[in-house]
Amino acid sequence: MVRFVAFRAEIDTSKCVKCGLCWSICPTEAISWKPGSFPEINYELCLGCGACYERCPRYAVTLKRLPEPRIVKVDVSKVDYNKVKEICKNAGFHPEQIICFCTGTRAKEVAAAILLGAKTPEEISRMTGVRTGCKVECIQPVLRLLKAAGIEPKPKPKRHAWYGMCPTVFEVPKEVREKYRARGFYFDEDESLLRKVIARV
Amino acid sequence: MPRYKVNKEKAIGSPIKPLPPVPSLYGVDPKYVKKRAAELPGIVSIKINELFPDIPKPIWPPRNPKAIREATEEALEKVDMSMIKPHHSVNILGSHHGFTILGGEPYAEMLKTIKDVIERKTGAKNIRLKVGVGLRHRESEEYIKRFKLDEYFEGKAYGMSPLDPGIPIETEIGTFYGIKAAYDADKIVHAHNTDVREVHFHRHVDRAFKPFGMSYARLETRSAYHHNLGPRGANFVARAIFNSKFVQEKWTFAVFLRASPVGILGVYADNDLDRLDRRITIDNLRYYGKVMRLLSKIDECIVVLDYRTPIPYTFAGGVIFANFTGANIDLFDLDNPLPPYTWYTEAYYDEQERPLIPEVPPVNPAIKAIVINYAWGGYPSVFWAKKFPVIVVGREQADVYNRDPQNIEFMKHAVIADDLETAMEFAYKIAQTDKVIIFDGVYGAINVSKSLAEYLIEKAPEVDEEVEKKLLPKWLKQRGIPPEEAYK
Repeated sequence: MVRFVAFRAEIDTSKCVKCGLCWSICPTEAISWKPGSFPEINYELCLGCGACYERCPRYAVTLKRLPEPRIVKVDVSKVDYNKVKEICKNAGFHPEQIICFCTGTRAKEVAAAILLGAKTPEEISRMTGVRTGCKVECIQPVLRLLKAAGIEPKPKPKRHAWYGMCPTVFEVPKEVREKYRARGFYFDEDESLLRKVIARV
Repeated sequence: MPRYKVNKEKAIGSPIKPLPPVPSLYGVDPKYVKKRAAELPGIVSIKINELFPDIPKPIWPPRNPKAIREATEEALEKVDMSMIKPHHSVNILGSHHGFTILGGEPYAEMLKTIKDVIERKTGAKNIRLKVGVGLRHRESEEYIKRFKLDEYFEGKAYGMSPLDPGIPIETEIGTFYGIKAAYDADKIVHAHNTDVREVHFHRHVDRAFKPFGMSYARLETRSAYHHNLGPRGANFVARAIFNSKFVQEKWTFAVFLRASPVGILGVYADNDLDRLDRRITIDNLRYYGKVMRLLSKIDECIVVLDYRTPIPYTFAGGVIFANFTGANIDLFDLDNPLPPYTWYTEAYYDEQERPLIPEVPPVNPAIKAIVINYAWGGYPSVFWAKKFPVIVVGREQADVYNRDPQNIEFMKHAVIADDLETAMEFAYKIAQTDKVIIFDGVYGAINVSKSLAEYLIEKAPEVDEEVEKKLLPKWLKQRGIPPEEAYK
């Protein structure tokens, strides 16, 4: 899949109060900011996701349509596919599995980005486009795939674009499974289903 | 044998006028919605209370803010608020979803009443409203402004987003993250609604707990819900967070607007969320269950989307379009692992659109074409455009998706018609059916073509029988509720 970048964020400094919120949530770290100064956008890195546009408390950010859309894409054929499969499998994903529903990015593309040198969610976003649609739903697969490749990035202080990994069904303890089964939580069956997908690799 | 026959003359009426479009960051300018699908020739409405007479009569519609206020006050009289002291700060936690029901006014009235009753019963003055969102990060801010909630809450009404600063919450299975602003008070009140909405996600397991894993939660938690726990275990994220020491120390009570396919039935309130969840589960499996199973009987149709929500959340008879996409499967039956639409399912199609495992069920084959007359962006919706023929009415509506970072690819899989009539003409050609169902947010009735109205009238009594005798007991047992509780 490719991520078509059709917009870019622009900051109206007459409205901006230099709070740095846009900097703290930008999924590609396209915004630089120092306390007391206006934020600046690196347009090489901005994918027009609108996180800053939707959260700026002073409505100082607008999205401007680019004259020509640009494309963000990682070429999976540039890396050893066996290594892609290994990372995906260790992370609990099928390489073909979609991990970002906005951009249609698949696990194999994130794994390829990692093999091509990406070491943080931000670097993966710049290479694949993940985390630049809804900005919400795909952080866990990204962190799981990084971990499966032996990389455990730490969130940067004062930024809150992401914090950390959360539990998966594979780690739900037996006693918890038993305690809640009667309520309708079918952890064992769900885990089998997820493992069946992984086994198809 | 069915318990009754539907009186066709009483069941079919003139089409019900849907609520008008509203200005929003996520939708088309209302001036571009030139005609509503309910105005098309041949459209009628079928009254849900005639199809299923055991669904109680609503207190809204018709519009009745006084009834909501009285129902909220009455429900709250039985609630223990002694844990709230006059010096305490209190966050009333709400969700955008409540504002999509009947245009949002009933939910807004309930929220205002909760504030008033807490003040009166406890003496607490520092009461804030914190409203979470789905994937439209300004949506709740729009509702707060529209219903003047900021004024009512004396400058203390806020929209929250999963992008906002977070707070770690330790649970019995590990760390999740909540939105810090949701929990920055001494006490919290859970102000939600009973609408089933995303059955494909929560499967109606611990439905009442869901916002703790969603609209009150940070992006890490929501991502875990949709990628880490599995298609039936996802909502455990919410249960785990609710059960945490952190949340329990702030917990007071829950107040739920009691939604149903016919409208608002009243208000539930309880200190015990488990007890409330059981009541909701019985109500919803019975009432929404019947409408959902009825819609599952549709053999062929054209779907028209025409409401002020994103594509999957437009609804007919209280059932959201996303659930109709999966109506060929019983979504309440937990023996079915994957709904035809849910993110776990969407993830399992390869680049050639082939399922990765045989357990992936096809989407509802009854849907022959989709016409989008009016529906917002702000939800990744390309799945529907890939799976069904989609006709979008007007370039301006199409541009809603073209400018939406969640739907950049959507219009690559859809076509544009100049107006609604042209779109319908094209849809009839490709669908080869005259059955039309309109997802336009109307409660109490469903706007459909006459042919579909007659079809559904015929099917309703047997669906009632099937749900009461066979499905409801099974659904309840799967959720640990003795079926006898539903038949008291």
